[in-house]
Amino acid sequence: MKYLAVNWKLRVTIIFLVSICISSLLIALDQTGWAAQINQQGFSHGEEGGKPNFPVILIYILPFIKEIVLMGVPMLLALLVMKVSSSITAKLRNMTR
Amino acid sequence: MSDWKQNLQKTRYVMDVLLIISFMLISAPQSTGIPLHEWGSLLFIVPFMIHLLLHWEWIKKSAKRFVRKMTFKERFSSALNYLLYMMMLLIFVSGFLVSVSLLPTLHITIPVQDFWSKIHNEFASFIMPVIGIHLALHWRWIVNMVKKMSMKGARA
Repeated sequence: MKYLAVNWKLRVTIIFLVSICISSLLIALDQTGWAAQINQQGFSHGEEGGKPNFPVILIYILPFIKEIVLMGVPMLLALLVMKVSSSITAKLRNMTR
Repeated sequence: MSDWKQNLQKTRYVMDVLLIISFMLISAPQSTGIPLHEWGSLLFIVPFMIHLLLHWEWIKKSAKRFVRKMTFKERFSSALNYLLYMMMLLIFVSGFLVSVSLLPTLHITIPVQDFWSKIHNEFASFIMPVIGIHLALHWRWIVNMVKKMSMKGARA
């Protein structure tokens, strides 16, 4: 790990200090009207209870499938956009020559 | 595989694979359970920090380069990287503030606010498409590294 070892204490300290400063600013978000509004409205997530009507194994697998879809679909769309835009740019370049 | 520590690109590749696997594991509290999710998230700081350290040169140059002439892709990628860092911090902070296992174990009690629960939940979902786009922007590097590492593995 020679690339990590070089001057690592200073670099880690800088990253920690910057992260702590930004985090302190982020914590202040709970003093905003936005936070007060959400706290007043309340928020519940996945606390409905009840027995799921699908195999138990899916409870363990579905969160990972959700992650793959949430990351994979935007990734494929971004790759498509990059490919289309690079081919359009190449065609435009050829036309101007 | 033994020389990957001597090569920056290979070190980045190995560490990035560990980073994405650990991220996927800690992002599924329904599968792992809340205690593992919270303690795992604390440990996740290590691969996240290693990722930042291995891209230290980029971090140093990015701010200067951002104001100079850059292609749209480079500018977009830089902005997205900073957005990812900010989102990751927000998820860490909100995660600690809604902790029901880690902080109580350490005898620290913080009243959980619905605001932080909502922020943690929504940003944890929203960061995934951002990571997907981040991966797409480095797709050529990923494919090259997979080829390089698998070729090496086949030769060994």
